Amino acid sequence: MTGNNTRAARAGGLLTNPFSKLGRTTVLAIIFVLQITLTSLLVPGYFSVWGLLDASRAFVEVGFISLAMTLIIITGGIDLSVGALLALVSVTIGFSYQAGLPLGAACALGVLVGVAGGTLNGLITTYFRLHPLVVTLGTFALFRGIAFAVSDADAVSSFPRWFSFFGQYKFGGMVPAQLVLLGICAVIFWLLLAKTPFGRYVYALGHNPTASRFSGVATEKVTVAVYAIMGLMVGLAGLIHTSRIFSARGNAGFGLELVAIAIVVMGGARILGGSGTIWGTVVGLLILSYLQDGLSFAGVRGDIGLTIIGFALILGVFLNENIQKIR
Amino acid sequence: MSHNPDTETFAGNPSNRRRGSAYFNTLLARPESPALLFLILLLVVFSVTTNGFFSASNFLGILEQVVIIAIVGLAVNQVILSAEIDVSVGSVLAVCAFIYGNIAMAYGGNLLPLFAALAVGTAIGFLNGVLSTYGRVPSIITTLGALFIYRGLILLLAGAQVLNVPKSSRVLGLSDLAGIPVSVIVLTVLTAAFYWVSNNTNWGRNIYAVGGNESGANTLGLPAYRTRLIAFVLSGSACGLAAAVFLGQIGQLQATAGTSFELRVITAVVLGGTSIRGGRGSVFSPIVGALLVGVILNAMTLNRVPGTMELFVLGVLILLSVSSEGLRQRYLEKKI
Repeated sequence: MTGNNTRAARAGGLLTNPFSKLGRTTVLAIIFVLQITLTSLLVPGYFSVWGLLDASRAFVEVGFISLAMTLIIITGGIDLSVGALLALVSVTIGFSYQAGLPLGAACALGVLVGVAGGTLNGLITTYFRLHPLVVTLGTFALFRGIAFAVSDADAVSSFPRWFSFFGQYKFGGMVPAQLVLLGICAVIFWLLLAKTPFGRYVYALGHNPTASRFSGVATEKVTVAVYAIMGLMVGLAGLIHTSRIFSARGNAGFGLELVAIAIVVMGGARILGGSGTIWGTVVGLLILSYLQDGLSFAGVRGDIGLTIIGFALILGVFLNENIQKIR
Repeated sequence: MSHNPDTETFAGNPSNRRRGSAYFNTLLARPESPALLFLILLLVVFSVTTNGFFSASNFLGILEQVVIIAIVGLAVNQVILSAEIDVSVGSVLAVCAFIYGNIAMAYGGNLLPLFAALAVGTAIGFLNGVLSTYGRVPSIITTLGALFIYRGLILLLAGAQVLNVPKSSRVLGLSDLAGIPVSVIVLTVLTAAFYWVSNNTNWGRNIYAVGGNESGANTLGLPAYRTRLIAFVLSGSACGLAAAVFLGQIGQLQATAGTSFELRVITAVVLGGTSIRGGRGSVFSPIVGALLVGVILNAMTLNRVPGTMELFVLGVLILLSVSSEGLRQRYLEKKI
């Protein structure tokens, strides 16, 4: 892990190690192990391999989105529309199935809507040269608005049994299917980011967009590609979400964008772009998700989860920005 | 406070009146003018096509609906002008309303709850501002985090509570002076104050400089951090005031109050002609923009468009207005 971390950082040329000689990802991994140990000691009955694996079903969806959000944040962008787009994907699957489309085709259509939504974000951002912040704030309202308008505050949950596969199947009765898929995606994203020219362009774009344009990087294509990839991941996440809760409704995915951004930032990506790693994001995902899981297991009310994620987000960026300043 | 010569293109200067058409051109070039023309057009169209739109009571109703957006918009406008953003206003409004409601229920009156709500709003705004400037956390992160922190708190604190504000503490939302709602009068005074401050104080001018060209402003030695901090503080205080009007109008508080309020405010500001990149805009942008949003939503209701369409319409409005800003930028670049 450490090796990849420093190598990717060298490619981006920015992130010097904020903590000691250990990689940031390693430090985070140690924190994660300590966190699980501590929760297990403090909350009796919490620790079991089965329980920890089962809990992963709740965060796999945001995991997919965090992987793609890592790319976007490394380019210096942001995507606030992912929660709304997930709702739109879910509603598309549910209501096109209800309207008579075969479920397989409905799922494909849902993922396609995800890709289209992401691509739209990328195209508007590049064509009008707008900051993705405002673009995705607009599409946030647009996507959620369409999802509400189509579903008319109604829900579809009359799916056939086999549809539960994506969100509820477990290999050997232990390992959730979507967790395996997330693992595969994480490896693909790591290869893409750390081992391909495309990955180098992503870092270059975030580090210095003008310089990368002058060095022949097709900056607009890279930007659109990054947002389209996000659309694909939201499509997958939406499919899994719909299958897991076995219902499609317009208010799905509320606040998802915040959680994803908090995870990526906690994993060490600078919000201003240019640095970040996939494994950092993966560990960030584990830390934040099991923090919430442990709290809810201990009986803390769910609403406080929003507050904690909000704190984690601000604190993460604050540390990233101010520790690097000292260097 | 210094008096800046280039602000004298407007009211009060008699030489302007003699210039005639030049004056008219300046008026057209103002950032909020396209939105104003669009607003007038919509008013005419809806008056002709929609039953019940053209009436004094409906217009007053629109004004009352728009007041809360406009009050917060006036301050958020300054934040956006300084090239920052504040997406936390919905949650901050809910927190301030929670404070206002509880103090009003415990002690009654109007002033004490108002001051409490103002104080809390100002404190939250200050915290947002300090983190976004001296703390080096980009304002989108600070305020996005704040949005969820305060929403989580309000869900936790007010989730089960039923908050009914006594009528005597709802002066800002219910009473009127000579037929005009007090809230509208407050908004008018506030707008005038913002206009004066924007044109006659260092801070008011610095906002444009810092937002338009940060490195230039730094070179000139303008206090960029302090300028922005004040904008964030104002945004928090405005939420405190708006919370008093909001609770005065509604009378009770739900934990979900003010959800997606930030979207309406930002829509109003950018729709009214303030550039989302900062540095270009007008004090009147949020007023014109809020009226546009109010008129459109009102016409939708009168035409029986389902309420679920509202978010969709807001999204389209944001995208249209920011894209037109992008197009303007492209056009300017080509011209050069």
